[in-house]
Amino acid sequence: MAMQQQTNEVTFETRGDVMVIYIQGDITAFSETKLNEAYRSATGQGAVRLLLKIAADAYINSGGIAVLIQILAQTSRNRQVIGITGVSEHFKKIFSMVGITKFATIYPSIEEALEKMAVSAA
Amino acid sequence: MNLSSCYLFKGLSDSHLGRLEAIASKQPVRQGQWLFHKDEPAEFLYILESGAVELLIEVHGSLELPVFTVESAAAELLAEVQEPVEIPTTMIRAGNGCVGVGALIEPYRYSLSARCVRDGTLSVIRRADIQRLIHQHPDLGCCVMTNLARKLLERLNETRREVQIHLMSLVRSASF
Repeated sequence: MAMQQQTNEVTFETRGDVMVIYIQGDITAFSETKLNEAYRSATGQGAVRLLLKIAADAYINSGGIAVLIQILAQTSRNRQVIGITGVSEHFKKIFSMVGITKFATIYPSIEEALEKMAVSAA
Repeated sequence: MNLSSCYLFKGLSDSHLGRLEAIASKQPVRQGQWLFHKDEPAEFLYILESGAVELLIEVHGSLELPVFTVESAAAELLAEVQEPVEIPTTMIRAGNGCVGVGALIEPYRYSLSARCVRDGTLSVIRRADIQRLIHQHPDLGCCVMTNLARKLLERLNETRREVQIHLMSLVRSASF
């Protein structure tokens, strides 16, 4: 019934001014440690513009939404610009409902995100 | 039918698995099909043979999910929600999953809603049939309930972790 505890696989890629953080796997409350580590690593490398790329088949439950909000709150405090891409229309709607879109812009693709984020102010 | 891959039935003997297979029937399902809604009587247990099922909380009019928002403007956004909102809880994928365990526990009500995310096939067991089987074979019931308790504890731990995340977000925002 419940999701099995899993760890996400996270990789990084710097593309121009933006650090893309690729997140594989479902995003749940158990993702907290890994995603916070990834965020700290990206910030430690001086990243000001961050793009979270969520896997196409990833499921994000209420716990995962909480983890994302936690990270977005940190980016807000640290005056970073953050975008999210890879989410389905279903999750875009939920993100909008819970206010995630106030902290992060949801982009339809990595390419569009890179184009828009490169010119936006920090 | 491969019921042995479902976590509920791990450790059961071949004879017990055979008894379960004898009371299960295959049901094809389509993407978008609802299996059940929260609080409905739990008359069936569903084991995924193929496809995927999403467990979620349906909320009408306002959000019940304890998702914290750090800005009051976002809270106002939540208060204006009029259309139904679905809170994603769990995705069950074929190979290990089942939904509808409310059929095993009193008061026999589904605690979440379930909807098929992809076309697939389910093995369906009626509550009355599995209850009768458990009554006839207590060792089968003990194994199933032990597996269920283990899974529910995992789920409880995940929920506690989620609460912890929300609480820490509250604490951090309060300090600003």
